Amino acid sequence: MAEAIQKKLKAEVEKYAQMQKEVSKSMSARQKLETQLTENNIVKEELDLLDSSNTVYKLIGPVLVKQDLDEAKATVAKRLEYINGEIQRYETLLKDMEKKSEQHREVLSSLQQEFQKAQGLAVGKV
Amino acid sequence: DSHRKKVSGDYEALDDRLKTLPDQLSYDIMVPFGPLAFMPGKLVHTNEVTVLLGDNWFTKCSAKQAQKIVDHRMKCESLFDLTSVVCSFASLTSTILLFPKKDVNISCLFQNFILFFFSLFRLSDNGDMNGEDTSSSSSEEEKEADATTPVNGLSLKPGWSSLPSSTAPLRQDRKEEEDFEEEEEEANCLPTIYFSHTVEPKKVRINTGKNTTLKFSERKEQKEHSKRKKKNGHNNGHAHHELHKITTPADIYRLFVDVKNGEPIPRKSILKSRSRENSVCSDTSESSAADFEERRMMGRSFSHDEATHSDTSDGITEEDSPTAVLLQPPSRFEAFSGTVIEKDPMPSAVPHLTISPPALPTILERKQEEVAPDVAPPQQAPKRVSKFKAARLQQK
Repeated sequence: MAEAIQKKLKAEVEKYAQMQKEVSKSMSARQKLETQLTENNIVKEELDLLDSSNTVYKLIGPVLVKQDLDEAKATVAKRLEYINGEIQRYETLLKDMEKKSEQHREVLSSLQQEFQKAQGLAVGKV
Repeated sequence: DSHRKKVSGDYEALDDRLKTLPDQLSYDIMVPFGPLAFMPGKLVHTNEVTVLLGDNWFTKCSAKQAQKIVDHRMKCESLFDLTSVVCSFASLTSTILLFPKKDVNISCLFQNFILFFFSLFRLSDNGDMNGEDTSSSSSEEEKEADATTPVNGLSLKPGWSSLPSSTAPLRQDRKEEEDFEEEEEEANCLPTIYFSHTVEPKKVRINTGKNTTLKFSERKEQKEHSKRKKKNGHNNGHAHHELHKITTPADIYRLFVDVKNGEPIPRKSILKSRSRENSVCSDTSESSAADFEERRMMGRSFSHDEATHSDTSDGITEEDSPTAVLLQPPSRFEAFSGTVIEKDPMPSAVPHLTISPPALPTILERKQEEVAPDVAPPQQAPKRVSKFKAARLQQK
């Protein structure tokens, strides 16, 4: 009886570890997005400081490609939107994962209790 | 926090540089040219600055505008961890045209600058501070604001000269990277054998299909060492000479030469030894067939050991060239043992031992003694058996 519970416990622990890994992955992805967000915000502001007299370039690989100032502003704005959308997606994902891991934790704790009981019984028998 | 201080310090230095830069129409400087050289040149269009806004966006603007951007950055600095780097450099084409003292290929110079610039960019991806230092030094490089050197104000020349040293290591790193990559690419080539006739034989590599490399000459050296032990330095100079002259498989055969009666007699098969035949013959009188069996097993175990101990054996088995075949005793051994057992289980074992000395050192010495034609076989026989058995016992 105790052994069966132990196995169950192990399985649950593994699942929980997996969940945690995924959570941390999405966390780091989200952090990346955050930095990109701030960066793009700054770029946007700086572009606003400029007027059309300055040429704007975009770095594509090893090449600096000339861009129109308005085009550049539009592109940056679009990118900002995209990043915001991604961040929200990750947020929802993280929430879900949190819930799941909570559930897992509860299951784990209940299993542990059972296991201890079973062990107590076994000790008692012996 | 210290990081932030450093960043703000850099930005302040940048600010100063931007202020002083347009003071002169042009500056005479020493331009870094590759990782090891400089060239006299001029810094021109001192008011034109190309600024990195972040996320691979650049803009060309005047020094004053650049200053505005820097101020804005300093305000926003508290918001981000990875600071966007202000990288600025004067317009390239104009500077290149004004190198008075040398005829330089413009395109290659341009490339150079681009390379500098982008190598620094790569570093900036890794770490903001690094990136900032290097890119701002690259900006110096390109003759613009200097954020790293403590020299501020009007004395720009010392600033320029101190710069290249910081960029030089960067270039070197990149170069090293490139070299390393080249090396790796080489390893992925089709199997080839390179013979080096240089003093350092260890440069020779055999690249096999599975990217395992066999240091051909190292093994040859091992063989040569063991052979020298055997023959008490008979072939020393000879072997060395041969080693450097290997161009065909026949050359390798030449190395496995018995010296009998003062004359080198080439062997038909490298894996067999004539002297061994004699010794083994004398052995048969003593030992039973069972002993032969055991020795065969030993030989097999040797080959097994060889396979496990030496990683080169893996490389060998895949090598197609004829020279590798000669070095391939482990795989050969199996084929041999069937026929050899009647006569000569030992010789096939010998090459193993010579090749994998660390496996069974005691036996190795013994075998070497046996192979030496000078040593009288009958005297050896009793010792050999015992040592052989001892080794077997060791293995068990």
